[in-house]
Amino acid sequence: MRAEYKVPGGKLLVCEVSVEKGVVKRIRITGDFFMHPEEAIDELEKRLTGVSTGEAESRLLGFFEERNPQLFGVSPQDFARVLRLALESGEPT
Amino acid sequence: MGEEWRLIDLLVDSAPRQMALDEALARLRLRLGTPNTVRLYRWRPSAVSIGYFQSVEEEVNLEACQRFGVDVIRRITGGGAVFHDYNGEITYSLVAPEGDPRIPQDILESYRVICGAVVRGLAKLGVDAEFAPVNDIVAGGRKISGNAQTRRYGVVLQHGTILVDSDLKRMFQVLRVKDAKISDKLIKAVEERVTNLRRYLGREVGFQEARDALVEGFQEAFQVELVPGKLTREEEELARELEAKYRSREWVFRR
Repeated sequence: MRAEYKVPGGKLLVCEVSVEKGVVKRIRITGDFFMHPEEAIDELEKRLTGVSTGEAESRLLGFFEERNPQLFGVSPQDFARVLRLALESGEPT
Repeated sequence: MGEEWRLIDLLVDSAPRQMALDEALARLRLRLGTPNTVRLYRWRPSAVSIGYFQSVEEEVNLEACQRFGVDVIRRITGGGAVFHDYNGEITYSLVAPEGDPRIPQDILESYRVICGAVVRGLAKLGVDAEFAPVNDIVAGGRKISGNAQTRRYGVVLQHGTILVDSDLKRMFQVLRVKDAKISDKLIKAVEERVTNLRRYLGREVGFQEARDALVEGFQEAFQVELVPGKLTREEEELARELEAKYRSREWVFRR
């Protein structure tokens, strides 16, 4: 499943996620945004892998709260939105 | 002028080598006490660089890159995809410690200050440009420079592109443009948003002329003297090692 979200006045987010039996099997969030430190994205994706789709969004927001990476051109809410859009898309990746 | 910074002048080399040099200079800045450095460079062969977080398949037409001999590389900095046209673009990079009094701790403010050096340089050429947060420089409302920064190894590394005379048609062939075909209409739409020195000034601008202006811009903005220097042996060695990473499929196709 896949979704894109262009933040108004900001950057682009693309979320690709595969789900098996209601659990996130693999997730990639890409785009032209800035995150410092950059490696936080890998931690985020790892943190969401194996999580049930119902919990993914709150885990994502929890990650940003806890790790608190600096973001430019996107916000944690924008990440949550693109994740939600991807999970709701039903579009096979 | 006050302090001296090192200038590595208008080096022409491949994408993996340019990115490896930026990283090597950043990694060794504090470890070996190398000077603050400004590099100016061009990419040969022409290359597409993508941001750290971007998907190579989403952003790049790999088949077209192969056909036209255009390299593809992933940066360690975020931001968007850039077509580094050998004949139409000049890149700068700056390495200085975090905490250098001339560079704000705040990332957005540091973009403003470093891009300010580019803006000053462009003014020397007669371009009335301004910083457009987060990471662009615009002239006449159109983008003329894109910039990207990382903070690692205790330093600020910022690199950026200045469009001199870009080949928009080729750019569209090598970059994937979302939901649109390469059409004259699209090129026109981008021409509304992007410009370059030749187009803005209505004359040819040579790389040496652009280089001179940028050097002056950095010197004035930071109140330093840029002294042409050489890479150290350690920098050369580390860059050679890092080059392998930048060439690897694992790195380029990481996302």
